[in-house]
Amino acid sequence: MTAITTARLRCVSCVCASIVFSWALIGPAVADETCMSPYMAKIVGQEDFVHVWTLGVDGIGDGQDKLVTIDVHPDSPTYGKAVNVLSVGGRNEAHHSGLTDDRRYLWASSLDTSRIFIFDLHSDPAKPRLHKTIDDFVEKTGGVIGPHTNYALPGRMLLTGLSNSRDNGGRTALVEYTNGGEYVTTHWMPTAEKLAGAVKSGSYADGYGYDVRALPRRNVMVTSSFTGRDNYMTKLGDVMADEQAMQRFGNTVVVWDLHTRKPIKILDVPGAPLEIRCAWGPHHNYCFTSTALTAKLWLIYEDDGGDWHAKAVADIGDASKIPLPVDISIFADDTRLWVDTWNDGMARLFDISDPHAPTQIYAERIGAQVNMVSQSWDGDRVYFTSSLLANWDKTESPDDADLQYFKAYDWDGERLRHRFTIDFHEQGLGSPHQMRFGAYGLYGKRRPAAERVSQAR
Amino acid sequence: MRGSLLPLLTSLALAMPAATGIAEDIHARHGSEPQIRAPGYAALKFEPPKPGTYRLPPLGPAPDGPLLDSSGAPVRLQDLYGEKMVVLSFIYTSCADVNGCPLASYVLKQVQNRLMRDPLLADTARLVSLSFDPRVDTPEVMAAYGKLFRRDGFDWRFLTCESETVLAPILDRYDQFVLRDYDEDGNYLGTISHILRVFLIDRDGQIRNIYSPSFLHPDLLMADMRTLSLETR
Repeated sequence: MTAITTARLRCVSCVCASIVFSWALIGPAVADETCMSPYMAKIVGQEDFVHVWTLGVDGIGDGQDKLVTIDVHPDSPTYGKAVNVLSVGGRNEAHHSGLTDDRRYLWASSLDTSRIFIFDLHSDPAKPRLHKTIDDFVEKTGGVIGPHTNYALPGRMLLTGLSNSRDNGGRTALVEYTNGGEYVTTHWMPTAEKLAGAVKSGSYADGYGYDVRALPRRNVMVTSSFTGRDNYMTKLGDVMADEQAMQRFGNTVVVWDLHTRKPIKILDVPGAPLEIRCAWGPHHNYCFTSTALTAKLWLIYEDDGGDWHAKAVADIGDASKIPLPVDISIFADDTRLWVDTWNDGMARLFDISDPHAPTQIYAERIGAQVNMVSQSWDGDRVYFTSSLLANWDKTESPDDADLQYFKAYDWDGERLRHRFTIDFHEQGLGSPHQMRFGAYGLYGKRRPAAERVSQAR
Repeated sequence: MRGSLLPLLTSLALAMPAATGIAEDIHARHGSEPQIRAPGYAALKFEPPKPGTYRLPPLGPAPDGPLLDSSGAPVRLQDLYGEKMVVLSFIYTSCADVNGCPLASYVLKQVQNRLMRDPLLADTARLVSLSFDPRVDTPEVMAAYGKLFRRDGFDWRFLTCESETVLAPILDRYDQFVLRDYDEDGNYLGTISHILRVFLIDRDGQIRNIYSPSFLHPDLLMADMRTLSLETR
């Protein structure tokens, strides 16, 4: 494989899971996050960059939210360095980001101001530029605040909200935009008072939101639930000390009809179910989520009759020690799942070959408050970042270091091998959160000659 | 005729076996093993939505642009909108990816067949296949391509463009990303990488849905077209 052919769009670029194997016809399918939208174009080969949506911190550098681009190509002379820093002019509680289906643009949303920053990645993959800012999200959506997940659908973006402008609580909605950044419509999460056709299968119908993933071949969309602005913008210690506040966390996963965007069934998943990762196999009709407050791994699955269920399938660490599971990342072959636990800084690997009975088979301490995890398509490279929320992040580390970092590892099938670390505070960058991969080849571009010369040497 | 028909026939040969589904375990499939076919080639694996029970919110106006029909006569996209709802598919005739352009033309052909059995709905619908490879896809090539798909009397247009210069802003307005493939020495490989997109456009010229291979399926297109036909204007 050569650099130019390692990452190229193909006609089939959105055929759900098979996309990867279509590209395999021109080369090994060996890169890309495994947790992205199945509608999205995939990278084939070594990723060139990881773009990190980074929370601005007062007194750290310019204090602004920024998109930090890290060179992760091992043959590059700037491997392991932040090669571009793009500040957006203030602090907005930068959090999650997501690519459009053609990967030309990166949508990066913010939980405090509800601004959405759309970055152009294709013009110069090493130097993203700010293409557009959406400033009227709350007004356009009818009161949704805290845009969180930015998920690619064909020609459009689907965003989850975390809260609403009426009471700053957890009731919220899904929102659609065109790829061009034009508002399309709002779908409010079903509540006990307004089920919108959904079946309330258990005790809860809270109307909360957090993440969304789709299983197009089953015409299903799955959403999870976290908490509203009144909690996520309050210091974690204050929230945990407030019994009433602790009651205001999501306890539901909702299964939706993907095509009609109508909720079908509300499932009880108590304890703030966060990231959703759906299996890729064509017969694997299930997704995983983890509950932050109860430290459990949950399986959301379809039975033989087409009905959807949720069940807790594994403990994540010792719940009494509040490990606080955060991001999870599924392997492309659906056999393993990385689970980060924020409170103890551990990355835990679960064998999910039997999705109904996962077992932890490996653990490695990454650093204080490890949060997000992204892996290449083949699972050989794994990246971690640290920040959770501005008001929830730790200010002291038992290691006296390693509080806000980007760390790159290789996974050899048995253990993680550290490649490099970037200390985001030391370098004046801020607190890093969501990672998304980039590659020159996606846009028919080649790595600069200097890098190829380095490779030849 | 400037363009070769060989790649065209190749792509059609790949498309026409019509697939038996995607039953294989994709995780066992690598390298030169056969490719999994898109859902559009097989029976839908779930119940399609009942027409009229759901909304298709407008995604904005379908952009205009100057084109050539398969006789070489000038035509504007806007001339094709308004009278009927339109299914617009961006393709190139030498595309050999079975889940790319051949899929789009295959699914549109199935839609055509179903519309032929529903004359009232057929009178309100138009199919448009628009090439993004004007270097090869001359009006003559598009006419030959169309003969392989269009049934007599059905309103299915096969369009191309005068040049890539004229085409570029049209693709840009439809957010249709295409990329010509070159080898290490800069030689054009004859293939064009692209995101497959098919657009459903209502009689007000508004885009109402965008389909990718994951759910480009005749059952869903028919449900959506019937949903639009049930709307009061």
